[in-house]
Amino acid sequence: MIVATRLQTIGSAPARSLLTFAAGILIAAGLFLAAQGGWIYAKAALAQLLLERAFAESVISGTPVKPWSWADTWPVARIEVPRLGVSAIALKGVSGQALAFGPGHLDNTPQAGEEGTAVYAAHRDTHFTFLRNIRENDRLRIARSDGQIFTFRVTHMAVARWDEAEIDPDARGVHLVLATCFPFDAVTSGPLRYLVYADLEETTGK
Amino acid sequence: MSASPNVSRYQKRQNFLIRFGLLLWFSNAILLPVLAVIFALLHPLESHAQPAAAVTPNEMGTGSLLLQTNQDGKYIEAPRLATDVDLDVNGPTARAVLTQAFENTTDKWVEALYVFPLPEDSAVYSLKMIVGNRIVVADIKEKQAARAIYEKARKEGKKASLVEQQRPNVFTNAVANIGPHEKIVVQIEYQQSVRLADGRFSLRVPLVVAPRYSPQGASPITQQADLKAGWGQTKQSPSRKGSDQPISAPLMAPGGDRANPVTLKVNLDAGFPLDDVKSLYHAVKIDKIGDSARRIVLDGDATSDRDFVLEWSAIASNMPSVGLFREHVGKDDYMLAYVMPPAVATPQKAGREVVFVIDNSGSMGGTSIEQARASLDYALSRLEPNDRFNVIRFDNTMTKFFPDSVMATAENIGSARRFVTGLEAAGGTEMLPPLQAALDDSHQANGLRQVVFLTDGEVSNEQQLLDAIAKLRGRSRIFMVGIGSAPNTYLMSRAAELGRGSFTHIGSVAEVNERMRALFDRLENPAVTDVAASFSEKNASLSPNLLPDIYHGEPLVLAARMGKAAGTLTVSGKIGDRPWTISLPLDQASNAKGISKIWARRQIDDAEVNLTLGKISQADADKRILQLALDHHLVTRLTSLLAVDTKRLRPTNAPLTQADIPLQLPAGWDYNKLLGIGTTRDAKADTRHQQAADKSESADGDAELEPISAPAQTSVPLPQTATPGMLLILHGLLALLCGASLLFLALRRNRA
Repeated sequence: MIVATRLQTIGSAPARSLLTFAAGILIAAGLFLAAQGGWIYAKAALAQLLLERAFAESVISGTPVKPWSWADTWPVARIEVPRLGVSAIALKGVSGQALAFGPGHLDNTPQAGEEGTAVYAAHRDTHFTFLRNIRENDRLRIARSDGQIFTFRVTHMAVARWDEAEIDPDARGVHLVLATCFPFDAVTSGPLRYLVYADLEETTGK
Repeated sequence: MSASPNVSRYQKRQNFLIRFGLLLWFSNAILLPVLAVIFALLHPLESHAQPAAAVTPNEMGTGSLLLQTNQDGKYIEAPRLATDVDLDVNGPTARAVLTQAFENTTDKWVEALYVFPLPEDSAVYSLKMIVGNRIVVADIKEKQAARAIYEKARKEGKKASLVEQQRPNVFTNAVANIGPHEKIVVQIEYQQSVRLADGRFSLRVPLVVAPRYSPQGASPITQQADLKAGWGQTKQSPSRKGSDQPISAPLMAPGGDRANPVTLKVNLDAGFPLDDVKSLYHAVKIDKIGDSARRIVLDGDATSDRDFVLEWSAIASNMPSVGLFREHVGKDDYMLAYVMPPAVATPQKAGREVVFVIDNSGSMGGTSIEQARASLDYALSRLEPNDRFNVIRFDNTMTKFFPDSVMATAENIGSARRFVTGLEAAGGTEMLPPLQAALDDSHQANGLRQVVFLTDGEVSNEQQLLDAIAKLRGRSRIFMVGIGSAPNTYLMSRAAELGRGSFTHIGSVAEVNERMRALFDRLENPAVTDVAASFSEKNASLSPNLLPDIYHGEPLVLAARMGKAAGTLTVSGKIGDRPWTISLPLDQASNAKGISKIWARRQIDDAEVNLTLGKISQADADKRILQLALDHHLVTRLTSLLAVDTKRLRPTNAPLTQADIPLQLPAGWDYNKLLGIGTTRDAKADTRHQQAADKSESADGDAELEPISAPAQTSVPLPQTATPGMLLILHGLLALLCGASLLFLALRRNRA
């Protein structure tokens, strides 16, 4: 407030230009930050369109198809929740780069539909926002890039720390886990994860 | 209408607005940067925290395996365990008898799982189980079948033991149906080859997961007299002493109850007059048996929370430069040859050509690119004036810094270092073009050519890359430097193997100097290149298929199978520019045990290499490995050792419970940190936990019959799954709001 009174005493012209300048910087910074945040969502949404195309292509060709030429990863499955009418194309691996574009399939877990526990993870505020609406006994449909479709039934949900989830990729039976950050409405990232467990119900061939 | 009240009101409002605006401005000027800093910090924190634990099982040190086992709520009480290691070193091979005693201190039938690390090249070939006065000898079986039989035996209440390979250097031993207060002794035999480097022979016995040395163990003299007798001593004393200390948690806190006393002895017969024999980390007692033989016993109050390493060397004048050993098994002779290249002094080091390839793709972001830059910077500083070099960087594009390799003048090095310092991680990963560029050898024709490849190996077209290396490698040697906490080890080690180089892993910036120095010491001192070996006899099957360069102080080690050991083995190569050959008369080989297993183990590795090269299919490789494993009685990724006692022992109404043997963390590991959140697991809580678990188990009869699976694979760390998007937008809106209010204020004042 001392500065405020000084500004007044010095005279209005320099103070005004300083204020205008500061306002300009703030507005520019604000626009930049907001645009950066927006870009994250835009990227997540846009990438899914490209991924959708690449996935369709890889189902037909039977080989991995990169969604864009410089991509480090490629689509491996489509995750659908028929009741909620949502779907997302999952990528191989869960590097930060892959997760920006879609859900990722954890490399050290089996493919969905194989013996063991397949794990997919995605951001809570983009591709896996719908996890909060999932209820027990919901059907999850996983279409793999080899054309096989597996239907899983949700058995339960849980919240666990990221390093204590106790997911056994070699568990007996065919299981699926969808993981995202928890709590859903938090703005900063934290150690908790929200997990949706599901067991295989049905397999549909090509 | 008076103006003054209006003016003063206006003035007041203006004052208030100015103060409010400035308050906002200041709070933002301070708040926003602080928020930005916190936010920026959050990111590295997250990314630091995760790779630390998000290591896949293959990258993990043995100690961390333990961590993931301790979450199962089903542990009752761990069976007490004692361990004895008896090593017999005969020339180039060391045969170990690992004996473990399980004592069930509970009143229940338990199943125990014991994880033990072994050296990478070890071959596990025998399992015996001693139950009372009965001995059950295990048979080698195909892995799935063995697992099924074990499960069946376990459910039927039979005693059974199963040794499986989890990773090439980690094995698990599961023992089912240990009765209340019953002791079971399991004995595993394995073999490893003795390592020779810089004139010193060494042998490493990993004891980290296996247990600490118990000071109250029996006297060493008694132990070495006879294995069984010694065993009896060591098993008795701790169990008597420790009977009042129940082990409550499978993972024990340091300083807690030491449940795993270890005894160890080595019978060393080097085959040449010995100079100096020493144990690096443990107190030992050494008895001289003869010129070339020693008997070494673990002595004193040493805690064996680190690996046991024994080193020995020959008397300088008698340093063997070749070694030739033979074993006759079945119809065949198996040979093992050690050849030490002559130390030829090269007055002027021949100049090399070194091509550095650095990955600056997006996946290298964060600390990885820093490590890569630091490593490359170090490497550039090590170049000699008569070397030639080039630097290639790549993401989805690539840049050759010099059009062709240039002399390592101070100026060239300086500009290359500046180029490297400026590299930022961005873009995708296209590794093939830079690999081809680095292997392009059309301009220089002679001398050493080395390619140093720094990457995290996050690529999809591994096979394509390996094919390219196999096709284009020519005289180039490829040295892979894996960057980051979890590089693609599969690709890296295979690429280095095919490129006849080595694989160095750099996990943190702190490791850069040490690891890169070790790598460059090797790179600068190749002793023999273009190594080839041939037999005068036909039908010799030689391993490894692809002979590596020999570096300073290291021998060439060859294993072969042939009908009859006769004729000669000729090894040739080039020392600098001079050709070098040596002939070994095979009929003069001395007999040694276990050569056939070394050969088989190497053949298995060769099969894996050929599989990578695409020379044989997965099915062929599996078939070949399975055959070798069954013939030579080896535990591999496809085979397990299984022992089942035929007598039914467990009453059907006594439920079986599982318990892991308590495991010790390696020295220097932070117990609390590794455990994550639960820093203090006091005994009471554990007991309650166990009681609860116990109840649930007795309530649910089938629950405890779930198979124990390898702890290495029981938990998956989950990635960070929140975007900073909303945070950024909120920050942005806040800044916009402040900016707009300031602007508004300024305009108002302007008008005034």
